[in-house]
Amino acid sequence: MAIRPIDATKIERANFWWRVGSLAPAIIVLALLSIWPVFNLAYLSLSDVKWVSGSAVVDFVGLRNFHELFTGEEVYWAGVRNTIIFAICAVTLQMIFGFTMALAVRRASKIGRSVLTAVVLLPIVIPPIVIGAMWRLLLGRDFGIVNSLLSYLSLPQVDWLGDPRFALMSVVVVDVWHWTPFVFLLTLAGLESLDQEVFEAAKLDVKNRWQELRYVTIPLMMPTILITLAFRMILSFKVFDEVFLLTGGGPGTATEVINFSINRVFFAQDRVGMGSAMSLLTIFGVAALIVVANTVVRRRRKQKDAAA
Amino acid sequence: MSEKKIGRYTRRTLGRLLAGLSLAAYLTSPAFAQDAGTIRVLISQSPWLNSFVSLVDQYQKDTGTKFQLDVTPFGGMVDKMRNSVRAQQGSYDIININAQGLAEMYAGGFLRPLKEIDSSFSLPEGVLDFGGSAHWNASKNSFDPKGELLGVPTNGNVLVLYYRSDLYKQAGLKVPQTWDDLLANAKKLHNPPKTYGFVSRGTRESILFDFSPVLFSHGGSFFADPETGDFSVTLNSPQGLQALETFIKLNKEVGAGNAGALEQAELIQLLSTGKAAQGTAVIAAVADLQDPNKSIVTDTIETALLPAGPGGKHASVAGHWMAGIPKNVPEANQKAALKFLKWFLQKDTQVAYTQAGGIPIRKDLSDTALAGDPAYRFIKAFSENADVAKMNTPLKEGVRMKEVISLYLNRALIGEISAKDALNGAATEMNQILTAAGYKLTPPKML
Repeated sequence: MAIRPIDATKIERANFWWRVGSLAPAIIVLALLSIWPVFNLAYLSLSDVKWVSGSAVVDFVGLRNFHELFTGEEVYWAGVRNTIIFAICAVTLQMIFGFTMALAVRRASKIGRSVLTAVVLLPIVIPPIVIGAMWRLLLGRDFGIVNSLLSYLSLPQVDWLGDPRFALMSVVVVDVWHWTPFVFLLTLAGLESLDQEVFEAAKLDVKNRWQELRYVTIPLMMPTILITLAFRMILSFKVFDEVFLLTGGGPGTATEVINFSINRVFFAQDRVGMGSAMSLLTIFGVAALIVVANTVVRRRRKQKDAAA
Repeated sequence: MSEKKIGRYTRRTLGRLLAGLSLAAYLTSPAFAQDAGTIRVLISQSPWLNSFVSLVDQYQKDTGTKFQLDVTPFGGMVDKMRNSVRAQQGSYDIININAQGLAEMYAGGFLRPLKEIDSSFSLPEGVLDFGGSAHWNASKNSFDPKGELLGVPTNGNVLVLYYRSDLYKQAGLKVPQTWDDLLANAKKLHNPPKTYGFVSRGTRESILFDFSPVLFSHGGSFFADPETGDFSVTLNSPQGLQALETFIKLNKEVGAGNAGALEQAELIQLLSTGKAAQGTAVIAAVADLQDPNKSIVTDTIETALLPAGPGGKHASVAGHWMAGIPKNVPEANQKAALKFLKWFLQKDTQVAYTQAGGIPIRKDLSDTALAGDPAYRFIKAFSENADVAKMNTPLKEGVRMKEVISLYLNRALIGEISAKDALNGAATEMNQILTAAGYKLTPPKML
């Protein structure tokens, strides 16, 4: 039987079409569900939408919505300030608690590790609506369990959710409780993937556990820590459900957050143009955060490679 | 497999896929999903839901008309409503609209005027229309009893005064006629943390509703003359300031201590557990307060007309629900929907509705079976308050107005800004919004 020579161009062309064909559905779905809505949002942010005689009337207003957003809309800017405070406080605490818990669980016995992991992960699997109801019952002023305990101990009651001095910090506490397991999970996975030989070798140089943590574990864990930090920062900028369920953005603007403002303007007030401008600005803010996080991780990786 | 076979196989598979997709599209299309004899209703998951359902069951039994109720939490109602009325083909034949969203639905031109469906239809004598809110005047951009009839009331929610008759008796107090009387009574009953003298809602979500009767009864107003289309902002008047100071005083001196964060569920809890001696709340709360499974004050909680301001004027605020029939549903469905609503408005139907736990929308039920029954003793206070109830922001920008005013009121209540600054700030922003929307206004005078 005669063997036909292989046509390299044909194979290359077939491979090319195979690559295009297999990637196309994913690209189309991504374009339809992610990229097109952002372009639509950008278009709407330059428009004013009104409903007259049952039909939408879209007027092009240029940058008017952005001008109004930067010169007015005080509540949105109060939300930006609160979101930044919220993100910094909540994520810092989550990183500390999550990583500490991961270190503790890693040192536990096999059974202890399974039990502790299951218990620690519990908050992350509870639906947000249940979390809201649960923490309202805990932190309520007149009927809350925390205040009942304070009363029992003859301590003054605190209006955790209704006093502007405590409201935002109460939401931070709930968020820390809710999302620390996420940090725990990621850092535990990171810890378990570390090369044990490095620790064996380091035993010759380190004097105690603290030195091991400071000079061996943390440097090795840095990529995981940075990625987890970036994840949590981005997610904490999206906070909505906890605020919605616990305080409704009040009292005053004490717990107003960006997403709460967008929800009010976009859906309650039906100001599609302004809501889009707010959304777009927030998207750019979060995107900038991702770029910064990426740059830091890359720089660290480069430094590490150079050192090696 | 030969190339021919592969081609045939692919064509057959593609053909089957297309046929399947076409069938799925047909089955899920609104035309197929909608049964011609079914009335589709959008309704809130509110305390009056069960009473409405009992009437629907009765109507279904009597006429054979089928119903499809989309029961939705309050927060999701506006979105569903907007999505349906703005679509080519509506998903609901009847939409229940809360007072807050009425102007938007009316002004947007989404609803079919009821006289276009049935030229002989009008609201029967005795049916409450809560400050003309069943009618809309497009030229004045406001509610107007002389305007086009677009809605039928389905639940009569107004703010009323709740008080504990046993505590009043013990302290030798009389039902307050003025806000000053109420404050005096509350001071005698205030014994925190065991008992609070008076409670009302103060969150950003609800403060405007609870403050409105205080403002109206003090002779204040939000706008100069909405009925003639003059929406010049008048909130920051001396009367407005006096009203806000009274409201703050009541909540600070004899309130629960967290007035700025007190919302409806917690307020009802305070009243039903006996921790609050009196308070203002919607009449719909009576269902919970008179339910022995939820309240320990079932027999001693009473309702009354809200107190008057210094000039003796009583006022309440309308938080009722109206049913509207969208334009974008088939004519046959519109007719069937209106037929049901006509039946709903009848006196006998309203008696059954009240007996099932609903709040009636008629004021002429005093000669019915409800009159002598102590369980319905709230009807008197409801009717009195409904008679003096007004809409607080009766214009299509109402939701935005509400948000602006509420935030300033809430900040004043928690002491973040003074009452004067709150009213001036709210008035300035209201004026800016309305001017930008094209209203011709007289600018508000600062306090």
